[in-house]
Amino acid sequence: MFMTNIESVPGKTILTCHGVVSGSTVRAKHVGRDIMAGLKNIVGGELKGYTELLEESRNHAIERMQAQARQMGANAIVNVRFSTSSVAAGAAEIYVYGTAVTVG
Amino acid sequence: MENLLLWVFLVALGFFFGRLAESRHYRSIVRREKEWLHLPTTTSKHPIGDAGDMPPIARSRLAHGSVVVSIDYFKRMLAALRSLVGGAVQSHETLLDRARREAILRLKESCPDADQIINLRLETSSISNGSESSIGSVEVIAYGTALYFERKQ
Amino acid sequence: MNYQPSLPEHNDNVSHQHPLREFLFLLAGLAACALAVFWALGLAVDVVADHVSPEIETQINRAVSLRLVAKESFAPRQEAMLQALTDELKQCAGVSQPIQIHMRQATEANAAALPGGHVIVHSGLLDKVASRNGLAFVLAHELAHFKHRDHLRALGRNVLLIALSAALSGAHSDVTQLLVPVNLAGYAQYSQQREEAADREALRTVACLFGHAGGATEFLEAMRATEDRSSTPAHYFASHPRTELRITALNSAIRDLRLPVKPAQPLDKGQ
Repeated sequence: MFMTNIESVPGKTILTCHGVVSGSTVRAKHVGRDIMAGLKNIVGGELKGYTELLEESRNHAIERMQAQARQMGANAIVNVRFSTSSVAAGAAEIYVYGTAVTVG
Repeated sequence: MENLLLWVFLVALGFFFGRLAESRHYRSIVRREKEWLHLPTTTSKHPIGDAGDMPPIARSRLAHGSVVVSIDYFKRMLAALRSLVGGAVQSHETLLDRARREAILRLKESCPDADQIINLRLETSSISNGSESSIGSVEVIAYGTALYFERKQ
Repeated sequence: MNYQPSLPEHNDNVSHQHPLREFLFLLAGLAACALAVFWALGLAVDVVADHVSPEIETQINRAVSLRLVAKESFAPRQEAMLQALTDELKQCAGVSQPIQIHMRQATEANAAALPGGHVIVHSGLLDKVASRNGLAFVLAHELAHFKHRDHLRALGRNVLLIALSAALSGAHSDVTQLLVPVNLAGYAQYSQQREEAADREALRTVACLFGHAGGATEFLEAMRATEDRSSTPAHYFASHPRTELRITALNSAIRDLRLPVKPAQPLDKGQ
């Protein structure tokens, strides 16, 4: 499935527009990652544990959005935007939304 | 012992009334989404339609819809337990799904005569009542440009 | 392009597992982990409590003991009698620290050992015992708490689990509050074990002082007569085992240790 964050898929024409689709997950970290993060706060640097966690969550959210687009009969999603926010103690919501279209 | 019973009571209350409120909200959302399906909405900056066939735009305005949804005690406990072991927090997934769809519906309802809504964006933020560990509610705002085409006289 | 809208038939953005099942599963798992950690930490506390030197114990006691107001005793002769009996028991009990008896006026029969070598005895207690042996058993039970350093152990356990939870998830987080009932349940079981151990030690002390075990169960039997008999779940969370069970345990200990049972000396309650 094509995904772009511009108005169209380069080299293709949009035939039909199906509407807005979105995918979201809410993921929590576990205490192990918390403790490592606490230690990293002392020495600084990338929190690999959290990066991996959010990376996984983002991929899962994208999959959900693509599944929704497929249900509508689309084969591409344009103008995709991402958003991350913290919604509960120790949990972050990732959601991604875009316009589902059929390109040819 | 009394504390434990009180806690069980609050969790049960949260669970039953929370489920009730949630299923009622979802029914309302599904019904209204069907009603508003006719209003084209896109996250693109360009209106839907081929450039040559579209009527000129008479006017446009920024429209928005927002909602603040709160969680019940049961969901909060579930999130607290989840944040220890990690994984998907299912209780909040339904919460945010409802909030987002409701915000988009309110956006559409705020401009009933619009012909299209373009450049749709969504923002989420959490509103807590001060203590950092207990998140009270979540606000979602959906905003976009509502386009009104010129009517053929 | 044309606009062909449709709504998805099923919602992919939510999971369809029943939340109650997830909740119970997580709760059971975490409660089991918490109890296991509690048990493991408890063993550590026991090792430390056994090896703490008396000087450090005195310092800890001073830090946590309540400042008892030195009131004018309301029954000086009875208090003196109790103090004398306690001092007699100390050698058999294996307690060397100074123990001070304080009598308080109350109808409820109770006695409590507080850190720092203080024992509070309610005046209602003297109405429940008729023999010197029976009274000696109650005092010996409190002395056994000092000998076993039960206060130190209880303090260590309570602090450790809540501190662990607070360190992991924040002091006022929902998880810490969730762990409080679990902590109470674990602590109650532990407390009941310590009370049983104190009962056994008191039996040995009384047999050492008087040469026989007659009258040891007198107080518990008197309490049983007036106690609520129903086995409610509250007993699971109670700090002491059920009186019935304590009497049974003592009687079987008397048989196992083959202690002689002779008539008890009547108590001179004085005035």
